[in-house]
Amino acid sequence: MPCYRELEVFKSHAGNREPGSGIRKKKPFWYLRRKSVRAEVDEELSLHLDMRINELIAAGMTPDEARREALRQFGDLDATREYCRRQDEEREKEMQRALLLEDFMQDLRIGIRSLLRAPVLTLTIIVTVGLGLGATAAIFSAVSAALLRPLPYAEPESLVRIYTDAPPFKFRFSVADYLAFTEQQQRFERHATYTDRAVSFANGDTAELLVTRVVSWGFFSVLGIQPMIGRDFNEQDGKAGTPPVAIAGHSFWQQRLGARADAIGKPVRLDGAEYMLIGVMPPAAGPLERRFDLFLIQQFTPPPRKGPFFYSVIARLPRGADRDLATGELRALNRALFPIWKSSYQDDKATWSMEDLKTNLVGDVGTLAGLALGAVGLVWLIACANASNLLIARVTSRRQELAVRAALGATRGRVLRYLLAESAVLAAGAVALGVGVAWAGMQLLQAQGATYFPRTQEIRFDASMIWLMAGLAISSALIFGLVPGLHATSGPGDASLRSGRTVAGGAGARRLRRSLVAAQFAIATPLLIIAALLLTSLDRLRQVDLGFDTGRVLIGSIRLPGAQYSDNSRVTVFWDEMRRRIEALPGVASIAFADGLPPNNVGNFNNFDLEQYPTAAGESQPVTPWVAVSPEYVRTLGLTLVEGRLLDAQDPERDAAAEALLSVMVDRAWARRFFPGESAVGKRLRSGGCTTCPWTTVVGVVSEVKYAGIDQPDDGTVYTPLAGGTARFVVVRTEGEPLSIASSLQQAVRELEPAAPLSNVATMTSLVDQSLAQPQSLSLLVTSFAVVALLLSVIGIYGVMGYYVQQHLKEISIRMALGGSQSDVARLVLGHGMTVVGIGIAVGIAVALAATRLMASLLFNVGATDPMSYLSAGFLLFAVAVLACAVPAFRAMRLQPATVLRNE
Amino acid sequence: MATNPLTLLQGTLDLLVLRCLASGPQHGYAIATIVREQTSGDISVEDAALYQALHRLHRQDLVDAEWGPSENNRRARFYTLTPAGRKRLREETANWRRYVRAVDAVLQGA
Repeated sequence: MPCYRELEVFKSHAGNREPGSGIRKKKPFWYLRRKSVRAEVDEELSLHLDMRINELIAAGMTPDEARREALRQFGDLDATREYCRRQDEEREKEMQRALLLEDFMQDLRIGIRSLLRAPVLTLTIIVTVGLGLGATAAIFSAVSAALLRPLPYAEPESLVRIYTDAPPFKFRFSVADYLAFTEQQQRFERHATYTDRAVSFANGDTAELLVTRVVSWGFFSVLGIQPMIGRDFNEQDGKAGTPPVAIAGHSFWQQRLGARADAIGKPVRLDGAEYMLIGVMPPAAGPLERRFDLFLIQQFTPPPRKGPFFYSVIARLPRGADRDLATGELRALNRALFPIWKSSYQDDKATWSMEDLKTNLVGDVGTLAGLALGAVGLVWLIACANASNLLIARVTSRRQELAVRAALGATRGRVLRYLLAESAVLAAGAVALGVGVAWAGMQLLQAQGATYFPRTQEIRFDASMIWLMAGLAISSALIFGLVPGLHATSGPGDASLRSGRTVAGGAGARRLRRSLVAAQFAIATPLLIIAALLLTSLDRLRQVDLGFDTGRVLIGSIRLPGAQYSDNSRVTVFWDEMRRRIEALPGVASIAFADGLPPNNVGNFNNFDLEQYPTAAGESQPVTPWVAVSPEYVRTLGLTLVEGRLLDAQDPERDAAAEALLSVMVDRAWARRFFPGESAVGKRLRSGGCTTCPWTTVVGVVSEVKYAGIDQPDDGTVYTPLAGGTARFVVVRTEGEPLSIASSLQQAVRELEPAAPLSNVATMTSLVDQSLAQPQSLSLLVTSFAVVALLLSVIGIYGVMGYYVQQHLKEISIRMALGGSQSDVARLVLGHGMTVVGIGIAVGIAVALAATRLMASLLFNVGATDPMSYLSAGFLLFAVAVLACAVPAFRAMRLQPATVLRNE
Repeated sequence: MATNPLTLLQGTLDLLVLRCLASGPQHGYAIATIVREQTSGDISVEDAALYQALHRLHRQDLVDAEWGPSENNRRARFYTLTPAGRKRLREETANWRRYVRAVDAVLQGA
């Protein structure tokens, strides 16, 4: 037997030195050694004295005299004895330590050698545990960055977001709101507002679109960050009439301004206007200032009406401030402000409110984070259970070998240590792989995770990661090392020796392995159910009818430089010319403009009041997507006119004299929602909370399109005529492959206006795919983990059943010899295995019923207890488990009873 | 620490012990005898200090200890120089010679 090759290990060094120390030592191992050191010193010294006495007697002294003289010559005997003993004991200890290390290295070497002899087992354990460990760590890094770590600003817990609370919506502030807040608030230490704007930046002949954040002067001081070079905005910069200034983001400064300090004080041309650069920010760390090329100063002028609501507000509370008082002040301010704007704003129920800035920025990712972390954590756990199971099997089949070792004098601790060394090697391999997987996962999350998760740029390999990985590694080693190790070394060793040919495992091992396999199935079942739910949800999302043919549609966006196109008539001329030129391009079937796009790009939401069904006092007005479109829009997307007429070029965006909206189109969902059972055409409404404006008439009803996201219900959309405006989406229906005309389209736009590039060019199909990216990758992630869990569970049950048949060869043979049929045998084996599986699946379903309720928000059109998902997941597990049990069952059926029994 | 009557001579004693072992394994009694005979009693080495030196050198791995039969057939502890001990003996001998020459030069000059 090859395993006896390693027997030399167990001639442990301790055993070598002290032949008498025995197989079962009652005393600690150093006890005898210490005694022997003392005895040795005594023996050596007394020999010396005896020889000296003999010499003195030979010289003529009496024995008594000789003894006295010898002792006198020797000097301080007791002190010397003590000194020598201590020296020897220290030496023993040092050697012992060196030997322990040597033993350990030897264990390790032998562990590696014997693992290399079982490469499939080793690889399975290292790969599965390593993957589980690494993936858990990677996901944890994202969760930690988003949820656990404070925002990278000064005293981040004092920062709040202020907004208009109109459940279920949270609206931003308007200029009027913010100015009123600034003048009257007393409970906030600092505050600022910002809004994002894309501006075109003239860079030589070409223009490009920059992402800028327009901020009130106190923005950076609220956050507690300062420019790296130059100065921060000051109060004077924010006053209307002061020359506008800008601060550059760090990467913009490096890439476009050549990282030159003398860029400060120079003008930057944006949208045709000049901004003086006054500072450069340090490399950005936080979610509020990352990604921006430039920060522009906001200068407020008194607003003519309350809306629009484009301004996000942040504020810093004084240290230890009472949040309830601050919220109370916000409410009171809003109540006082409300009557002033009554003519142009009406929503009694809306109020000002605030929340912790981090909570606001991070949003509702708790469910997603919990699900992802739970899934990977479970895979790690199932991998450990599987490893434990495989190692118990390995240990059980080597029990005889271990028993021989024990009989030859190895103590239980020694055998356990040897087995643990093997586990330590496996754990080290898994950790090495896990660190790699975690690192790769973190890179991936940093690069791609921003679509799914907030604050992914802040993912770091920090101390908490090291602690987590260390914790996981140690738990892994204990789970798959200690359990089989204790099992192997428990019970009397000589029973294993005596039992001869049949490898004795004992009922304990069988029970342990069965429980482990049942646990594996109990973990895999909820994972598979969740995967099934997510896949069903994704499938339903894919089947959602967007309301139009998404093929052969190309979109892009154009922004005109504001300074050159401040004149409305010039803007209108420009858009007309653009439409004509694009229409003339080969391959273009039709072109339209809009300020919002399906499937998830609503330009605006607006509230309105119906003439026929006015909103009662104290109630909120209805709010729906509000999309401005050019007359060709309906034809370009391929919508159908249900009733009435389409908006045409004769419908102006706003009546020039009255500044009012005269006619709108609505979609079928809107008509059904507000005028069920009657025609919406001809009905009138007032929008934006205005109570004195002329009425707006609904002139037509068209089919529905999704604007607020594929997973959102059709709540109705209002279409208004699009006439002016400096920013528009271009929607082109092509005759062939849409991307093939992308460059000629861009060329046409550039020829007409070099300062207004066509950007964000994409096909409608890709936009739809993008909007499905999050549910798609989540279901992919969970499904792949569920499949791993399924595979591991199958390995587990296969191993246990194969072993079961192996152990019951004799019993099965006797049954067959006594006339049992092959189907009896199959029933015995399958029944045994499927009991274990069945218990696991049942527990797993119970767990899933409790757990999936928590993820309802991630599901679309699928109940958290969707029976089909539960059934299909359960059936899949059951079917695969039957297959895994069938192989050993088949082997048992083909036994030749006579042969087996003769060999016994 | 035990009181050591020859603290000042410790280094010298170690050197003497190492030198006694240079020609082959010896037990403690034999070393004491050699030291006494070769110094003709000029230096009196206490047996206590000698044994302490032996065990100290053993701990430092400069000498090896092994039990073996003595002349009168009792178990005796025989000490041998280790390679490290041999090296130390060479170094210490050279040091001692330099020391003596230096002191001697001063004494003769005076």
